[in-house]
Amino acid sequence: MSGHEAGDAPAFGAALAVLGLRCAVESRAGLAVMAADAAQLAALVSLESRRQVLALARQHGFTHVAVELTAQPAGVRAPLLRD
Amino acid sequence: MPRDAGSRAADKEIALAEWLVARGRVAIGFSGGVDSAFLAVVARRALGADGVLAIIGRSASYPVEQWAAARRVADEFHVAVLELDTAELADPRYAANPSNRCYFCKTELWEKLVPVARARGYTTVVDGTNADDLRDHRPGAQAAREHAVASPLADLGFTKAEIRERSRALGLPTWQQPSSPCLSSRLPYGTSVTVERLAQVERAERALRDLGIEGDLRVRYHDDLARIELSPDALEAWLAAEPSARLAAAVRGAGFARVAIDLRGFRSGSLNVLHGVSVA
Repeated sequence: MSGHEAGDAPAFGAALAVLGLRCAVESRAGLAVMAADAAQLAALVSLESRRQVLALARQHGFTHVAVELTAQPAGVRAPLLRD
Repeated sequence: MPRDAGSRAADKEIALAEWLVARGRVAIGFSGGVDSAFLAVVARRALGADGVLAIIGRSASYPVEQWAAARRVADEFHVAVLELDTAELADPRYAANPSNRCYFCKTELWEKLVPVARARGYTTVVDGTNADDLRDHRPGAQAAREHAVASPLADLGFTKAEIRERSRALGLPTWQQPSSPCLSSRLPYGTSVTVERLAQVERAERALRDLGIEGDLRVRYHDDLARIELSPDALEAWLAAEPSARLAAAVRGAGFARVAIDLRGFRSGSLNVLHGVSVA
């Protein structure tokens, strides 16, 4: 996609898991695409959660993080993010 | 804006009018965005109907809704308009989408616009570049310099906030309009610019506007994936399950196989950051 240096998707994914977000991460150079299910997406609604994820992403070489919107059943309870 | 800052902006507007009057007849590269609309209206007031011509360069990279907004502003404030077709997509240097893509676009624009303006007696050609733009990655500015296009808003130190403030004072509907760069800015550098890709992005953004999204909005093109950037204030509402499903359906309907929402939200020049052209 670009000549810009890629982030470390496996390490970012592992860091997200520690936060309680277990999802696959696809690296597209500086962009990380998280494959979140409905529960994980719900966990990202809060500003504080997103700040945590963005900070982790920066630590692992990503300038941008996006969460993929897939067809998911609604109504799943959100996991709690851990400090 | 505080009273003293507002006063400074008003003083700059007076200086702008004086600058324009000293030039006589002025043609404006006109997109209908916040900056060029303000410049056109100040020029119309300072120079009269015969003293200003707003020239629109039309191509696939110029959103249809932006064109319609430009025409509405010109009609409302009685600014004469001329439209030219530009063919930047036919230039392989532009279509290859290098980081200085804007230089080739603006070269095409000014090469067509400046002679037309001068042939009609408009001795000075100006654009809407403002002082904030000078701090950003703007390779198109070089093309303006090469074609003797002046940037009075930048030269007089107008910031974007000041232009919005004075636009509001003048009754311009553009005063709170989001910035609206060309559609090619949604494609990462190195991804070739085609009419089809621009149309796909435009369809997706229109579909999202139809959902009621206001304010800053971009659909960034990443091949099969659309990355939506919303105003950070709007993110919380649209990340919820039902709204996000509507976002995804709207963008898939525009032809993207995959849809993602950016967790940081809109930032101007986002793809410049992704490519290391600007800092995060």
